Amino acid sequence: MGLPSDTPMDSASHREIAELLGAYALDAVDPDEAAAVESHLLTCPRCRDEVARHLETAAFLASAGAPAPDGVWTRIAASLEEAPPRLDLTRIPGLAGRRERRSLPARPVAAIAAVAAGVIGLLGFQVQQQDERLDQLSPAIEQRGLDEAVAAALFDDRSKKVKLVSDSGTLFANAVVQPDGKGYLVGHNLPDLPPGLTYQLWGLAGDQMVSLGVLGAEPAVRAFTAAGDVSVLAVTAEQAGGVASTTKPPVVRGFV
Amino acid sequence: MGDARSLMELSDGGLVVAIGRYREEALAEAYRRHAGAVFALARRVLSDGVAAEEVVQEVFLRLWSAPDKFDPGRGSLRSYLLAQTHGRAVDLLRSEGSRRRREEREARQTAEAGYDLEREVWDLAVADRVKEVVAVLPGEERRAIELAYFGGHTYREVATLLGQPEGTVKSRIRAGLQRMRVAMAAETDTAWTTG
Repeated sequence: MGLPSDTPMDSASHREIAELLGAYALDAVDPDEAAAVESHLLTCPRCRDEVARHLETAAFLASAGAPAPDGVWTRIAASLEEAPPRLDLTRIPGLAGRRERRSLPARPVAAIAAVAAGVIGLLGFQVQQQDERLDQLSPAIEQRGLDEAVAAALFDDRSKKVKLVSDSGTLFANAVVQPDGKGYLVGHNLPDLPPGLTYQLWGLAGDQMVSLGVLGAEPAVRAFTAAGDVSVLAVTAEQAGGVASTTKPPVVRGFV
Repeated sequence: MGDARSLMELSDGGLVVAIGRYREEALAEAYRRHAGAVFALARRVLSDGVAAEEVVQEVFLRLWSAPDKFDPGRGSLRSYLLAQTHGRAVDLLRSEGSRRRREEREARQTAEAGYDLEREVWDLAVADRVKEVVAVLPGEERRAIELAYFGGHTYREVATLLGQPEGTVKSRIRAGLQRMRVAMAAETDTAWTTG
């Protein structure tokens, strides 16, 4: 019964766990058994496949249903408008919670790969930029509470979401640019600058670097306007007050 | 792919990618496709329409906030949403002691009265195909699965309710699910060959 690499003890464990898989898929095991199953599923693709099949079968059983009551969608839609979604993109969810248990242990990693593949295949590089910003925008969304204009820009699928990164990859800033050129710097991990210095945002239009605004030593969420032909956004560190043109290397930069 | 019609043509996996891009209309389309089944399952498990609506809301908001939890490589969006729904509904059921005791009483009475999953799914107006697949199950497997899945009981509780050994119930649940799986595949084959 065991997999080729199983030890005898593993095989015994595999058989015991396998007997639980049907009940597990129906949420019909005790918490300690659920934990044991989940632990086993981490290393047993065959049992993961079996659970996935059981879940499909259960879904088939539950395939009844008239439309859900109208009011439910109205409430969901209202929730979406009230606030940006809570971006709980935990990469490796814990196994303790029952709801988390529904995500099979191997799923998160596979999910990332699958979604990433889907994103690249379906929507291209621009979307990849946007997916990457999900993690990093969340602090800004949750901690600062974006104003309605920024939220509208984020939710507008015509907006371009730009991730500016440092050459080393350790620093980033995220921006969103709407079709009319109105943009917002919405989140970053840029360190505070010492007194006398400021961050400054630039746009590359043609071969010209155009100042889009002085951001201060501790940049917050802020608006800027980028002309339609801006192809790159960059942030530099300049003397306080900003400069008309820059010779400094960008701290972070990204394609629009 | 910006308009509603193209969204309707998207696969579930494509919809989830669009949801990941904050496309609210993609969530609406996922809701249109699956909310009915989600609501029906939650209501069936909870016997409470208001609580079921809350579960529906929770499940779709969770899809909105964490779309990457769904892995199209491991199953359909429908089964994912229904698994979320069932887990949440059972959590609620088990967190409410009084409800739980009532459910157990009802289940025991039903079991004693010769509860029949086939009749139950018929009552739910499930498609004939489901009814046919369920019909392949021996009665004891049907009862065990029904009490576990729709009744929200653990297999140990099912064993108590049915007066059977725990190991037997555990095996029957698994065997029943596997048997239905085979029947589903056969149904699909028949559908293909008969056009």
